[in-house]
Amino acid sequence: MAAAAEKTPMMVVVGIDDSEHSYYAIQWVISNFLSVHGTFKLAIIHAQPSPAYAVGLSGTGTADALPYVESDLTKISSRVIDKAKELCSANSVKDVVYEVIEGDPRNILPEAVEKYHADVLVVGSHGYGAIKRAVLGSVSDHCAHHAHCSVMIVKNPKPKH
Amino acid sequence: MAEPVSGTTAEPPVAEAPAAAKMKSEEEEKGMRVMVAVDESDASLYALSWTLDHFMAASSAPAWLGSLIVVHVQQPFHQYILPAGAVTVYAPAAVTDSMRKAQEQNTANVLSRAKRICVERNVTVETLVMDGEPKEMICQAVELKSVDLIVVGSRGLGRIKRAFLGSVSDYVAHHAKCPVLIVKPLKEDH
Repeated sequence: MAAAAEKTPMMVVVGIDDSEHSYYAIQWVISNFLSVHGTFKLAIIHAQPSPAYAVGLSGTGTADALPYVESDLTKISSRVIDKAKELCSANSVKDVVYEVIEGDPRNILPEAVEKYHADVLVVGSHGYGAIKRAVLGSVSDHCAHHAHCSVMIVKNPKPKH
Repeated sequence: MAEPVSGTTAEPPVAEAPAAAKMKSEEEEKGMRVMVAVDESDASLYALSWTLDHFMAASSAPAWLGSLIVVHVQQPFHQYILPAGAVTVYAPAAVTDSMRKAQEQNTANVLSRAKRICVERNVTVETLVMDGEPKEMICQAVELKSVDLIVVGSRGLGRIKRAFLGSVSDYVAHHAKCPVLIVKPLKEDH
């Protein structure tokens, strides 16, 4: 439909982590958005937790463990990106940018929004309840408040009774 | 066929939904049921127009939008006046009547603005009016109509205000059973 009104392609940033929810979010975006024929550009951002964050403050021996944790995290990240690439190519989605950024997703995703001038930020949702959210924090919550663009939170359809 | 510069291949809507075990209507797999919650605020009407602008590929038949529903929730006004002293006074019938009329007028206004936005873009829209607490009713409407996506505007309240005033978009984001899109108003300062 190239004859359509010349709109600048919509920029969609999808934030993913190593969870089923993220892959579901990617799949959802692909299934639903991209049936609109080519007015979308996609940027898939994986926020890799920094080793110190992942390990937490676990006392002595942490310093030794860090290199292992780091390489492990890098492995996980590349696996995540590979899976994302798989999803995209399975659906013949081109025009995708993949990026792995180390740090806290709550900061990284809004920054990525700025960087890519995104129109929409898409995140999955772990579906935490109120307590877990308060304790673990919620990336999707934080993004919903702080990203400067519209935010879409894709939920797994949990088979709720 | 000239391809857009972005180079994204225009794939015909493939029946590609292995993981999407959602309630998608079978007869039109292109059909996505979208519901937009509107109230008197400009933010919500902006959300409606944003949704239509961004998700309509061509000015001709919207390939993406299966159906659009606009929902407006009327907040119940209390049928009684605040307790004066120790006695709760019930408002005389005339007052409730005129309040109800005012509310209906308000609803009609909101819906007509919403409809106008849709008509401008050649989109048919179904309207739905519900009574009750907006955040709960929106979530109920989602289930009632089996929508695939709920769109809400955001007033952009800061953290403190959100805690006290409560936020419909927050509540819906947590509790709706389908994906939620929170549309933020354009920021003038950039």
